[in-house]
Amino acid sequence: MTGSIARFLLLRLVLMLVVAGLVLSQLGIYWLDHSLRQYNREQLQQQSQSLLFSLIRDENNELVVNERHHDAQFLQPFSGHYFIIAVDGEEFRSRSLWDFVWPDPPPATGELFAGPNRQQLLIYRTRYQMDNSQIEVTVAEDYQPVLERFYRLRNHGLVGGLLTLVLIGLWQWRLIVRALRPLEQTRQQLLELERGERRRLDESVADELLPLVRQSNQLLSHIEEQLKRSRNAAGNLGHALKTPLAILTTLLERPELTTAPELKRALKQQLQLIEQRIGRELNRARMAGEQAASLKFVCSEEIPALLELMQQIHPQLAFHYHADAQLRLPFDRDDLLELLGNLLDNAGKWATTQVQLELHTDARHLYIHIQDDGPGIAPAQRQLLMQRGQRADEHSPGHGLGLAIVQDIVHALHGQLELRDSELGGLQVDLRLPLA
Amino acid sequence: MRLLLVEDSIALADELAASLKRQGYALDWLADGRDALVQGATEPYDLIILDLGLPGLSGLDVLRQWRADGLTTPVLILTARTSWSERIDGLKAGADDYLGKPFHPEELQLRIQALLRRSHGQGNTNQLQVKGLILDENRQCAVLGECTVELTAAEFALLRYFMLHPGQILSKGRLQEHLYDGETEPDSNVVEVHVSHLRRKLGRDCIETRRGQGYLFCGRTP
Repeated sequence: MTGSIARFLLLRLVLMLVVAGLVLSQLGIYWLDHSLRQYNREQLQQQSQSLLFSLIRDENNELVVNERHHDAQFLQPFSGHYFIIAVDGEEFRSRSLWDFVWPDPPPATGELFAGPNRQQLLIYRTRYQMDNSQIEVTVAEDYQPVLERFYRLRNHGLVGGLLTLVLIGLWQWRLIVRALRPLEQTRQQLLELERGERRRLDESVADELLPLVRQSNQLLSHIEEQLKRSRNAAGNLGHALKTPLAILTTLLERPELTTAPELKRALKQQLQLIEQRIGRELNRARMAGEQAASLKFVCSEEIPALLELMQQIHPQLAFHYHADAQLRLPFDRDDLLELLGNLLDNAGKWATTQVQLELHTDARHLYIHIQDDGPGIAPAQRQLLMQRGQRADEHSPGHGLGLAIVQDIVHALHGQLELRDSELGGLQVDLRLPLA
Repeated sequence: MRLLLVEDSIALADELAASLKRQGYALDWLADGRDALVQGATEPYDLIILDLGLPGLSGLDVLRQWRADGLTTPVLILTARTSWSERIDGLKAGADDYLGKPFHPEELQLRIQALLRRSHGQGNTNQLQVKGLILDENRQCAVLGECTVELTAAEFALLRYFMLHPGQILSKGRLQEHLYDGETEPDSNVVEVHVSHLRRKLGRDCIETRRGQGYLFCGRTP
């Protein structure tokens, strides 16, 4: 189904209520009308019987109507109560009928017909046998007031029904909106998912939504699995290629190749390109790419080990480290170590006596400053260096590559990297990484 | 110097073995982590080159087991796993050095030399210099003051072992164990022959004979 679910539900509901309301009110009026007519008929029947008793014999021994016996309602013209008594063909009309001409042929019992003064008459007719005389009593009563009351009732009912309909509609709208709110929540969660702030949809939702959420979660884990598999595949491929590369690099040193230095140089260059590319892709495949929720990285555990390693690689240098001893950071261990390792190693390659590492945080960011006392980099060259894969110095391999990897990680962590002059005389690398 | 190379790529192992043998090292090669665990702990190696991605048992597990059992032989990890966190993990497991693939063969050679010097208390020098004698490991010759003494491969290997163990009495058996790989069975007098060659080239009192005990490197103490 396309379009709004709420509108669909509401339209169907209103339609249903209107149809049901009309049918019910129509049925109600019909039933009321029917029972009232039944009741009137009984009244008329009684009247016709009492009229029968008003028949008396006159001096000629003819049956005549005793007018004194009548209710006042039969005497007042057009009172709404009428009778016609036919005795052996002779008609006695109630005075109330006045000059009204009875329709011919006369309507049947239980029927409504137009009377005087726009009255709607309900009639009852019976035949009696009295001593050899055929007596036909027809009693009529004005039904119009009842009909008018019905019309009024119907109008009131219509207004009341409409009001109820509007109220029910509004209430229903609220209900629908409330019922659909979990959908909006799930949409929000999907957004968080996209931003990497969440890995699963919340499964504590309404029963109707649960299959959808479950299905989505299943899809998510499937995608995650696929991603992990392709990351692993990229990682495995990269690692697997390194051994053949090592073999090729070793083969290049074969004495047979000393006679072709040009060839050897070209081959070496290509091998280096492959190696760099693999290093870069391995780093990308390795990168978790998701924000770690907990304070995973304990600086006091990881950084001394890294500095020890740096010391081993650059034994002539002094590595200084300044940070809060209790510092714990919400970053993936591999990501942060790769970041710091590359930057420190680069600094170590250029420094003359020392490298400084400083970490501090404020409420929202982690700041990393790494400086060395090497020759530094001219501002114009920094721009070049910032371009990915660019090398500052062909003779110090890895400087450019290290920075490219660093830039990849910084990018993935939504951070910022800046190069400037260090107070120590060399290069200072400033990093700002958001904590959340 | 006798080295153990644990590497599951036959082609790389072949190349490395050839290159390391040219540099005067006796070399044993294993491809399976489980074999390495046993042999590395039982044979008297001077240095172990260990790959991490091994069949049978991972290199890191092998290394941890060795260190837990008290094996102190220097270990150089040679691996495709080159991220900084993996390097740290390697060092934490007890590696003495870490070299990522692909590497330059010369780099490996320098690392091995440096690691051997370091593990024999020679500090962070870039050449082997003991008791007035300098060993040029790249040209495989000895330098005595101004003059350079050419050495055969066997003499170079023997002198290097002496120079890495100065002031220690080295038995003939120990020298044989450390200068020949597990598959070579040297003649009983081969060490004697090479020692006498070294004496002829470097001077008689350069290596003393301790009867019944072995040899002692004295160098060129004036």
